[in-house]
Amino acid sequence: MLHPSPGRGRFSYDERIALLLLSPALVVLAVVAVYPIFHSFYTSLFDVNLTRPHRMPFVGFDNYALMFGDERFWIAVRHTTTYTIVSVLGTAGLALLVALLLNEAFHGKRVLSMILLIPWATPSIVNGLMWKWIYDSSYGSLNALLSQFGLIDDYVVWLADPDKTVYLVAQAAIWKQMPLAAILLLVTMKAIPDDLYRAAKVDGASVLRRFYHVTLPALKPGFLLVFVYETMIAIRHFDLFAIMTQGGPGDATLTLSWLTYVETFRSLKFGTGSALAFILSALTFLLSFGIIRLLGNKK
Amino acid sequence: MNTEFEKIDRRTFLQSATALGAAGTVLPLAGLSAGSALAQTDQKIVFATWSAAVDQVKSHISAFEASTKISVAYENAPGAQFRQFLTTKFVGKAPLDVMWLSDAWLPEFADAGWLAPIDKYPALTKYNADLQKYCVDSMTYKGRQYGSVYYTDFMAFLYNEEILEKAGISRPPTTWDEVVEQSIKIKQKNLVEHPMLLSLEADATWFIEFVSTLVFSFGGKLVGPDGKSVMQDPKGGAAAAMKWVQDAIQKHKIVSPAALSTPEINGLKAFGAGQHAFGIIPRYRIRPLNNPAESKVAGKVRMALMPKGGPDGTHATCGWVRFYGMSASAQANAARLANSLKLIEWFGGRALGEYKFQKMILLDIGLPYCTKPLDSDPDVVKFYKTYLGGSDIVHKQAALTQKKDVISPWFGEWNENNIRAWQKGFMNQAPITTVLAQSGKEWDTLSARK
Repeated sequence: MLHPSPGRGRFSYDERIALLLLSPALVVLAVVAVYPIFHSFYTSLFDVNLTRPHRMPFVGFDNYALMFGDERFWIAVRHTTTYTIVSVLGTAGLALLVALLLNEAFHGKRVLSMILLIPWATPSIVNGLMWKWIYDSSYGSLNALLSQFGLIDDYVVWLADPDKTVYLVAQAAIWKQMPLAAILLLVTMKAIPDDLYRAAKVDGASVLRRFYHVTLPALKPGFLLVFVYETMIAIRHFDLFAIMTQGGPGDATLTLSWLTYVETFRSLKFGTGSALAFILSALTFLLSFGIIRLLGNKK
Repeated sequence: MNTEFEKIDRRTFLQSATALGAAGTVLPLAGLSAGSALAQTDQKIVFATWSAAVDQVKSHISAFEASTKISVAYENAPGAQFRQFLTTKFVGKAPLDVMWLSDAWLPEFADAGWLAPIDKYPALTKYNADLQKYCVDSMTYKGRQYGSVYYTDFMAFLYNEEILEKAGISRPPTTWDEVVEQSIKIKQKNLVEHPMLLSLEADATWFIEFVSTLVFSFGGKLVGPDGKSVMQDPKGGAAAAMKWVQDAIQKHKIVSPAALSTPEINGLKAFGAGQHAFGIIPRYRIRPLNNPAESKVAGKVRMALMPKGGPDGTHATCGWVRFYGMSASAQANAARLANSLKLIEWFGGRALGEYKFQKMILLDIGLPYCTKPLDSDPDVVKFYKTYLGGSDIVHKQAALTQKKDVISPWFGEWNENNIRAWQKGFMNQAPITTVLAQSGKEWDTLSARK
């Protein structure tokens, strides 16, 4: 292997080679990620409506003020918050139970592990359509099942009921996201030293106490990952709302991502759409940062 | 920094779309904005339609190409997103010569300078004499005619004759109160659970037509003659219409609450399966409903005049016209202009001396024409007899058809929130006066905008 002489200037030879090799990727990133973000911000400062192409004045931060003063925005914030809390906690809770199950040795564990991965491998569109069919009030399988078991007399209206809709979409999201979260928690669980459990047993700790005092604290890094990832997914979630509810009925599932879509691609107002996208990105960042601060400390 | 955005070109538009996607919210949708990068030759016409009558369009294009030796690049996109599809094409200066248009988009697109008026081309205007005046008016904006008719239709009140007979009802309802009475009677006899079909999904293609129909039938308007909103009048037709639907869902339970998540096509299938006795449905749907290959209730579906509501009610309904338009860019190029005019005439006028396409889409899929000479065509007469029991009722209802009063340059923008407002009213999520006041206020704000 050649050992080049120390490089001239601030970078060594190896560093210059590394930079050279990385430069194609950096250029691509700059073009498809960095520049568009800045351009999107630039767009958010103008009153851009595609159907009025001859008049697009600079409005500064008026688009942001407009959105903060819009009743729809606060409805969307409320629904996004509800959806995020329900889906993240639901995913994490269910994933914990599944991880605990898969951490035990039992017959058929491999098969069960594979089956549990199916929802995660299912494309989002398919997932949305599947749940839309299940919840259909006329021919959906849920009503048929409940009716067969004698649990309901009349078919229940699911997705068209404003009081239920957000929770039903969240449930569909939990079904899809849970396997990945379970794997993340299971990996963390596997890394817990057996010595800790043995020591706890010697001290006379019951199963529950071992769970609370050994397993849960050791799962903190796994939970951190799950909470940050699932929050980022949930707060920006779009697919299921597009397929299952179209933001309706009425305002019932109007979320920030749906409002951004409506403003941008249906009303064709790219100025306010860009402003909303930035607000949403900022919220995602702040929430993720908050979770990391909350769960990520070493103490 | 510039104080005025430069006129958007395709590059700018694509940058904006990509930028939004990268901001992490709507990336999967950014593809919507990607216009075709294909270079266009002067000899090839780009023709865009929504995804309907595809087989008929293709066969008529083939005949056109064989007859004229002009090539046609045919594109289609889903109807629910077609306005956005066209907008992105226009903004991005993508090749586009002839396209289907809705009367609802005409002011918006004409004001943007994307469409070319066709009224200075006698090859197309000579057919106006054969058209119903309503159709020509619907393609006219600020005194200029922008198209040649594809089809015209209206919202029809359809009923299942067999269900009415079984319930002992001798004639279809003539008022909305009678619709409730007859529906309750049908429910009591356990014939169907929800006798009245309404398809009110937020993304529904026909939402505004449905709402306008109900409002007109209650003797109301959404917008007054001065262009100001009147929908918020608590004693007006809009409030009465909204209340009727609200009661039909929640009080009388003759309409399924699931109506708010029911797309029109699903509602149609349910009607065809015999699950409903009444429905407000685009008239052309009577063909599949009375076609034994597509419907269990074939031969039993009939049309009545739209019921009227309240003391000021009428049998009026809402109609619409879809037409062939030409892009301003096609007009700017002599060769493309000449070819585009030929294509529009081939579809919207006569092809080899006959109104072929108009007749084909009526007979094949039920889409009604606007061309008066076809009324006496034996095949057309037979069609109406087979599927509607005759054309009298069609002519009666057609005479009472009104154009949407919300057609304006800001219609698309306003309607997004208007749909939500009506859904909230139907579900009693907010008081009727509040949601209509909000919708009216937004209308007035947009109309006052410079």
